[in-house]
Amino acid sequence: MEKVIKRSITTKKYLNELYVEVRREDFRDACMFLYQNGAAILRVMFATDERQVDGTFRVYAVFSVPGKDEFTVLYISLRGDDLSFPSLTNTIPAAHWYEREIHDMFGLVPEGHPDLRRLIFHESFPADSYPLRKDWSVKQSDLKEWGEGIIIKQPYSFMEVEGEGITEIPVGPVHAGIIEPGHFRFSAVGETIFFLEPKLFYTHKGTEKHFETLGFFEGVKLAERISGTSSFSHSAAYCMAVERMADIGLPEKAGAVRTLLLELERLYNHIGDIGNMCAGTGLAVGYARGAVIKELLMQLNERLTGSRYLRGINTIGGANRDVLLKKDDISTVLNTVTREYKSLMKLLLENVSHMERIETTGRLSKDIAVRLGVTGVAARASGIPDDIRKAHPHLMYDRLPFEVHTTAKGDVFARMMVRAEEVECSISMIHALLENSYSGEMIAPQKDIPVLASALGYAETPRGPVFYWVKSDRAGKPLRVKFRSPSYCNWPAVPFAVHGNIVPDFPLCNKSFNLSYSGCDM
Amino acid sequence: MLKEIVRNIFGKKKALPFPDGFKGSPEDAAKVVALQKKIDAIFRRSLRIRQVDAGSCNACEWECTALTNPMYDIQRFGIDFVASPRHADLLLVSGPVSRQMELALKKTYIATPEPRLVIACGDCAINGGIYRGSYAVTNGVAAVIPVDGHIPGCPPSPVALISGLLQILEKLT
Repeated sequence: MEKVIKRSITTKKYLNELYVEVRREDFRDACMFLYQNGAAILRVMFATDERQVDGTFRVYAVFSVPGKDEFTVLYISLRGDDLSFPSLTNTIPAAHWYEREIHDMFGLVPEGHPDLRRLIFHESFPADSYPLRKDWSVKQSDLKEWGEGIIIKQPYSFMEVEGEGITEIPVGPVHAGIIEPGHFRFSAVGETIFFLEPKLFYTHKGTEKHFETLGFFEGVKLAERISGTSSFSHSAAYCMAVERMADIGLPEKAGAVRTLLLELERLYNHIGDIGNMCAGTGLAVGYARGAVIKELLMQLNERLTGSRYLRGINTIGGANRDVLLKKDDISTVLNTVTREYKSLMKLLLENVSHMERIETTGRLSKDIAVRLGVTGVAARASGIPDDIRKAHPHLMYDRLPFEVHTTAKGDVFARMMVRAEEVECSISMIHALLENSYSGEMIAPQKDIPVLASALGYAETPRGPVFYWVKSDRAGKPLRVKFRSPSYCNWPAVPFAVHGNIVPDFPLCNKSFNLSYSGCDM
Repeated sequence: MLKEIVRNIFGKKKALPFPDGFKGSPEDAAKVVALQKKIDAIFRRSLRIRQVDAGSCNACEWECTALTNPMYDIQRFGIDFVASPRHADLLLVSGPVSRQMELALKKTYIATPEPRLVIACGDCAINGGIYRGSYAVTNGVAAVIPVDGHIPGCPPSPVALISGLLQILEKLT
């Protein structure tokens, strides 16, 4: 670490973030040093257009070292006409999508990237058009043609598998179930999947650009609507980023409310996911019972917050409602849920047809998971003890007793069991939270947003950690809001998990990851 | 599993209560019965819905999924969700319609046999909602295909979806 700092241009420490500016030619070495010697995880990588401030584009890479509550943010500034930066993908495969995204959104070229096809925009999006540049504008006719999708402006070629007996199966974007849109192209040998290439970003809604027009306070509403089932964790992470940037201290009571609701969100998602996996194996009883328990929790959510998806509670500096007042309701529902859930798990684990389907299906090895930067439930099921609640304690998590559950197998069964253990963890955490009383207001006094300040915010969604990075401009408006949902890290791993499985098992594998399309597509 | 089935048959397990917020006044109940007769008569007990996500955040989809759970059990009205637009009478479209989904939505619409109904589900689908004005969305389903009815809410709860569907059917039939 010292070696990196010695060669740096400037360093700045803010809370648990260490900003290190390095020279363009040192960028790759510095990142590699952290990655290889420090076993650091690449958390998020993004660019900013700060030309109006000091005439530069910047590329940031945020690393964190396991066991240390610190984020190292390495960044480089690109001035003048040379809009390229050294690509990290060849040594850190986790950077693959981030660099393609920067290329799509800013037109900065990652030098030496092995696959610079478009990631976010499909064929009909105008060429040489970069929405996140501050001086970007687009003709209405271009937008119209983009929507019509008939004129190809930049071709996109799928990777082709050649050979005897290979069948290509295109699926989507509109699927058979009530799920989100995405296109999958299977190359199968008989029934076995040899290769899968997903083409996503159908639900790209220009969210990051939209954050810039909404302003910091309105942004909470948008953060809640990025990924439906992670509404609360997304807005909690966003609020945390803005609070840290503006140096607003979160009152203890608001922190307790946020922790409680984060765990309630995890609970309804995990139980719903376990039930949903039964839909993948054709076990209707398990599916129905999972859905009923989930419904009980959703109704609790509605009684507590007025929204089944816990929306409208988070606000910059605190929480809008004191849900701790409804202690009795929460514990009554939790007791029912615990009883029902235990009997559901017993039913599933004793059911041979269900177990046969989920064991050894959709294996994701630890090696691949580490290299692709897989995160959250999927990472823990492949033996990586990565949990942002433990690694970077925030809110009440340093006071609550809980463990990070991992299993080594990496199959669908492992992902189910990690969820099952976390359900029990969440229930005991909620009980522990309800036992204590908390002081302070619900919302901290508001402060002005400082100029040219930036900070990270994070939370553990039911799928894994979500990160927000915000920076304000000279007027205290958002200069850049970057978010990285856990699904964005995990999608590239799905093709590796389904390799060698049969096509009918794909929905099951997919359900076991339960990734968000909308959160990934931005 | 067998034990479970036996227990449920002989144990007289109580049905799950319907959630608060669904006010079951006698008039409402009469209305539902009348409507159900209508659905039976017009659609022969088979109003088939194809749900299309056109860029929603996934909350609307989960509420539609919840409609089929044992608590709401929308199938008892003779309504069900189908896998293909070719089997559908009604398209339930959610999301502000992202530009990259526009073509797929149009194709789904064309693939649905006439006569067909289109209902915009959720605030985004009505006018873009919070995403209104973003470069990558078209500000609502009506900008892309003709819409017959709206169900507001972010997301509309399962109860709101059922009553919204029934109301729209009452108006249109």
